[in-house]
Amino acid sequence: MDLSVLDRLKWLQQQQLVSPEFLQIISSDGREELNRVESYLGNNNDELQSFRHFPEFGPDYDTIDGCISRTSSFRMEPVKNNGDNRAIALQNKRKPQGKTEKREKKKIKSEDETESSMKAKSHMSNTETSSEIQKPDYIHVRARRGEATDRHSLAERARREKISKKMKCLQDIVPGCNKVTGKAGMLDEIINYVQSLQQQVEFLSMKLSVVNPELECHIDELSAKQFQAYFTGLPEAVSKQSMMADFRSFPLHQQGSLDYSVINANQITSLSAKDQTSSSWEAHSQCLYNSFRTDSVSNLFSLK
Amino acid sequence: MQPTSSMNEEFLKKWQMGLQIVRPSIDNTSVSERKKAIKLSADIAMASLRKGTTCWSRALIQKTATEDNFLVRQMLSGIKEEALINKRLPKKVVCHRKIVRRSKKILRRKTKSACEEAAAKAKKLVKRRTQGLRNVVPGGDLMSNDVLLLQETLDYIMSLQTQVNVMRSIVDAAEAGTEQ
Repeated sequence: MDLSVLDRLKWLQQQQLVSPEFLQIISSDGREELNRVESYLGNNNDELQSFRHFPEFGPDYDTIDGCISRTSSFRMEPVKNNGDNRAIALQNKRKPQGKTEKREKKKIKSEDETESSMKAKSHMSNTETSSEIQKPDYIHVRARRGEATDRHSLAERARREKISKKMKCLQDIVPGCNKVTGKAGMLDEIINYVQSLQQQVEFLSMKLSVVNPELECHIDELSAKQFQAYFTGLPEAVSKQSMMADFRSFPLHQQGSLDYSVINANQITSLSAKDQTSSSWEAHSQCLYNSFRTDSVSNLFSLK
Repeated sequence: MQPTSSMNEEFLKKWQMGLQIVRPSIDNTSVSERKKAIKLSADIAMASLRKGTTCWSRALIQKTATEDNFLVRQMLSGIKEEALINKRLPKKVVCHRKIVRRSKKILRRKTKSACEEAAAKAKKLVKRRTQGLRNVVPGGDLMSNDVLLLQETLDYIMSLQTQVNVMRSIVDAAEAGTEQ
């Protein structure tokens, strides 16, 4: 049962490709055997006879469908030795259907129940041979039912697998998401994270606009190479730490205006109301600032 | 998973370009104007990193284009800006109201067990969250597909992280410089 859904889909398609050939080969023998079986059933068991004429089973033998070959191919095998072959064949047949039809089963539960109850009765009353004959019928119906929804449920399953894969990736990216179980909680976390990132961008752009206007000139004048050196020189641990800490402790509802007066005296009026930050953020920026002082900043601002 | 340094550099290069375009117009304006310009240029730089391969970047470019068409055109001049701005986003899926109503009726007809009810509730919660995510990610309401939405969200988060990283390092450096 380790097969992934796509493998199973392939397998199914192969089977369906093969099945018409089977049909051609087998059809004549199968028909004869069917007649034999019917006669056998007829003089043996009344209940089964009525079952035979159940409108869903009878006429479908004439229609061209993948399931005919399945049932007929079944019948070929158990003739030789009953127990083992049938078991193996059944395993092979049920493998792809059993898993994918779980949901399907629920839908057709009522019909299945009636069917299975009938089947159980026959099991109790009949000998082994009749149960062997019964089985293809059962599979035949299930295959026909499953046929319509099988691909759908397979596709649905593939889709769900894809989603869960993506969710796992998101779990890796979004910090604090691996503690949450359940899709809803994870989505919550993701939404919060994205919003916090967007707010950070807002905040940072605000901050940049307030910082010394001359700075922008310097940013513009800097060549890409210098920035490259600047980024590589940036200690990885510090930047990571600040990232991790900031998106959490970024309570924008917490009041506390940044002291921009040092930076720009004439623009403070409009700002003090808008800008908020927390003390922990300041601590982290302080720590970053200390690390910056050492080397990278000195060459960044050597242009001044 | 942290954004790679190559992404950082690329973003920075784009952003520099944007700032150069923006700078003459915002030198002597109010703070809010400057902030808006900076944010716009950063957004466009972020979106242009993907060169229009993703849905969110296209949506973001369209959104910013309505705010400042000139800037967007200037910044995207390298990569066929016309095609990007006017690129059609996938159509919003609109279901006919009658069909929705009818399907709801059919749903109501079924009797539910406790287990099924709980499952339905969970599904509803997830659906609401997904809708929330759609509102947060640019162009999210155009992604009819859940898988696509999650994929785009992944990409968007990565880009946002790059943006924040670069901006933060510049702000920190600037603060350090002014205090020195």
